[in-house]
Amino acid sequence: MNTPRDPEDRDDLRHAEYLLGVLDADARTAIEREVERDPQAAAQVARWQRHLLPLAEDVAPVAPPDYVWARVRAALGFTGFEPRTTPAPHRPSLWQDAALWRWFAIGASAVAAACIVLLVVQPRAPSVPPATPVAYVTARIQQDNGLPGWTATLDTAHARLVLVPAAPNAIPAGRVPELWLIPPGGKPIAVGVFDVDKPTTLTLHPSLLAHVRANALLAVSIEPPGGSPTGQPTGPVIGKGSLDGS
Amino acid sequence: MTATPPVDPRQLVDLLRAVAHGDQSAFADLYRHTSSKLFGICLRMLHERGEAEDVLQDVYVSVWKRAAGFDPSRAAAMTWLITLTRNRAIDRLRRHRERPLDDAAIDELADDQPTPALDAESSQQRQRLERCMDALEPKQKSAVRAAFFTGATYNELAERCGVPLATMKSWIRRSLIRLRNCLEQ
Repeated sequence: MNTPRDPEDRDDLRHAEYLLGVLDADARTAIEREVERDPQAAAQVARWQRHLLPLAEDVAPVAPPDYVWARVRAALGFTGFEPRTTPAPHRPSLWQDAALWRWFAIGASAVAAACIVLLVVQPRAPSVPPATPVAYVTARIQQDNGLPGWTATLDTAHARLVLVPAAPNAIPAGRVPELWLIPPGGKPIAVGVFDVDKPTTLTLHPSLLAHVRANALLAVSIEPPGGSPTGQPTGPVIGKGSLDGS
Repeated sequence: MTATPPVDPRQLVDLLRAVAHGDQSAFADLYRHTSSKLFGICLRMLHERGEAEDVLQDVYVSVWKRAAGFDPSRAAAMTWLITLTRNRAIDRLRRHRERPLDDAAIDELADDQPTPALDAESSQQRQRLERCMDALEPKQKSAVRAAFFTGATYNELAERCGVPLATMKSWIRRSLIRLRNCLEQ
C-alpha cells in the first residue's frame, strides 16, 4: 500500500502531513497559501488539527524564564509598568524579573541625572491590603571611560541589590569585580563579588543596610576570585557611582 | 512572570478576544496561563533553550497581532495557540536544519520519549487517539510520534530510523489514513 491514487485522498494526506510536520519548507509554504485562499483546504487542515493535536497533551509544561515575557513586551513596544492583572496565585515580584531590571538599566543609563528612583509596588489584588511601599534606589556605576558600567538597584525592604551590566569593560582573566559601599567619611564595606556581564543579585547584610543613604558611594574594584582577602579593596577601582545620582 | 496552570478553555477564549481588542492585561493573563505549555512544546521540538525562548517570544508577538484571527468556532483557544507554536517551531527547524543531520542531531531525534501512561487527566480525544494509535504497528506508531514531537522531515525521519525514504513515507501515510479511518468512524 502506498500513496493513494484518488486525488482527493492525496490532498487530504498532504494536509495531514502538513499538520504532522513532516513536509519540507516549500511544501509547507504551498499548503499555507492554499489554506489562506481555499476554505475547504482550511477545513481539512482544521480536521487534522482536531485529530492529531491531542498528542500535544503528552508534552509536560515548562515555565519559561521571566525575561521572555519582558522581551515580548519590549518587542511589541509596550512601555511603562505592567498593567495590573486579575488575581493570580503567584504574581511575580517585580524584583524577580531580571529582564525588567535590564530594561530599567537601559533607561537609567539614558537618564544621567535621575538616578534615585522610588517605585511603589502595586497592591496584588483589590482584596489584598495594599503592600507597604517599597523603596528601590538605583545608582549608575560610571567607569573611567565615561560609560556606565553597571546599574545597581537596591531593594532596602528585602535587603537585596541587583547589578545589571550596561557597557562594562572587560576585566583581566582570573580576576573578579567586587562591589563596595562607601559611607560618607567611612571605609569601604564589601557588598560582594559579581558577574561582570550578567545580572547578579546580591544579598545585603543587615549591618550594611544601615549605611545605605543618599550620599553613600558605590565602587567596583578588581579583586582575586572570591573577593578581596583583606576586607578592603586591593585592586584598582574601575567604576563608581553615588546613591544620590551625582 | 510566573506561570500558573491552564485555565478553563472558555476563559482562554475570553482572554484571546480581549487581546484582539488590545487589552494588555488580558494578554499578560493569557501568557501566565499558557506560556508553560507552549514553552514545553518549543523545548521538545527545538531541544535548545535559546532557540525555544526565541520561538516562544515570536509566538506571543504573533498572538498579540493575530488574536483577531482566532475563530472559536474552528478551534479551541489552546489548539490555536499550540498550532501557532508548532508552526513557528517547525519554521525554525526548517531554516536551521535543512542539511544532513549530524550525529548530535540524530541523537536528539532518537530521544523522543515513549508514550506516557495516559491518565484521567487526558482528554477524551487524547484517549481516543491513543486507542487508534495502538492499532498501528509499533514501528509506525513510533514514527508518527517522532514526526509530531520532533517536527522532523520525511528525510530526517528516514535517516533516523535507518530506512529508505520511500519506506518512511509509506509508514507515515499508511498510519495517517488508518488514524483518520479510526477517528472518523
